[in-house]
Amino acid sequence: MTPLAMFAGLMPALMPCLFATLVDRVPGIFFGLPLMALASLIFAATHHEDPAEIRFATIHWAVWLGGILGLVLAALLLLGWFV
Amino acid sequence: MGKKHRDRSKPAPRIVAVSPDDGSAIDLKNPALAALLSWCLPGLGQIYQGRLFKGRLFMGAILGTFIAGLWLGGGRVVYASWTPGNTRWAYVCQAGAGLVALPAMFQSLHLQGPAKQPFFGSSFMAPPLTPGQYVSRDYATSLASADPDIEAEDFFDRPPWRQSRIDEVSIWHRRFGRWFEIGTLYTMLAGMLNMLVIYDAWAGPLGMPTDDERKAHRNAASAASQRKEAPK
Repeated sequence: MTPLAMFAGLMPALMPCLFATLVDRVPGIFFGLPLMALASLIFAATHHEDPAEIRFATIHWAVWLGGILGLVLAALLLLGWFV
Repeated sequence: MGKKHRDRSKPAPRIVAVSPDDGSAIDLKNPALAALLSWCLPGLGQIYQGRLFKGRLFMGAILGTFIAGLWLGGGRVVYASWTPGNTRWAYVCQAGAGLVALPAMFQSLHLQGPAKQPFFGSSFMAPPLTPGQYVSRDYATSLASADPDIEAEDFFDRPPWRQSRIDEVSIWHRRFGRWFEIGTLYTMLAGMLNMLVIYDAWAGPLGMPTDDERKAHRNAASAASQRKEAPK
């Protein structure tokens, strides 16, 4: 078993711990989620007319936005550990 | 000389945008009016253009977020202030949400004016008092009676005015803590995203189809029509 596969296997067990740590380290993070959803929805709705396309694009934008903001958050948390 | 006048007997040309999804035309009617309506009430411009789904969606999302932010911040996060040391830059973004943020402007202008009290009398969307600021006696009394953190002794008697000794924004920060910042963020984002909505009402959807997408859509449409015409 490769280390990557081992890590992937452990992820389901690690996720609740990671999530709890995140909530503990970044209080109020839940209040950012509706804003992310809103930004994705407005971005999607201003780029499309069809409701089905708007729905699809909202998810697309939310994944991108969540990914980018997640990376920034992870970088900040890592910096916080080292500083 | 050389100026061309439109023939008034003919109907004005329609201003349309192209839907990026199916290439259909979107009648923008009067884009300037639609943009203005969308600023006044998010989504109203789209409703005027007959794009009801998007209009209702924008209205619910933007107004919902703005009101949620206002509620999270205890109704204090939307105010306009240009006094040195107490400039509220967040209001520039919040004002993008339209008429819902406009009372703050009236409140601020009236409080800084000769009346020295907010336009609507109450402190709703009024800027916070700063130390040394003169206010009307009525406003000082109403603040002292309505706000548990402000007392009558917090004002010097300077007939015909009262002079504030308090830094009201500090009181708000102490009372609401991080909710003040979260509420400010919600209302700011609602205002900023409404700029996109206004642009959508002005010029149609931002996402234009690429040439390849147009070609693919044309091919798909012609293939569908051929299938329809073909005998079963």
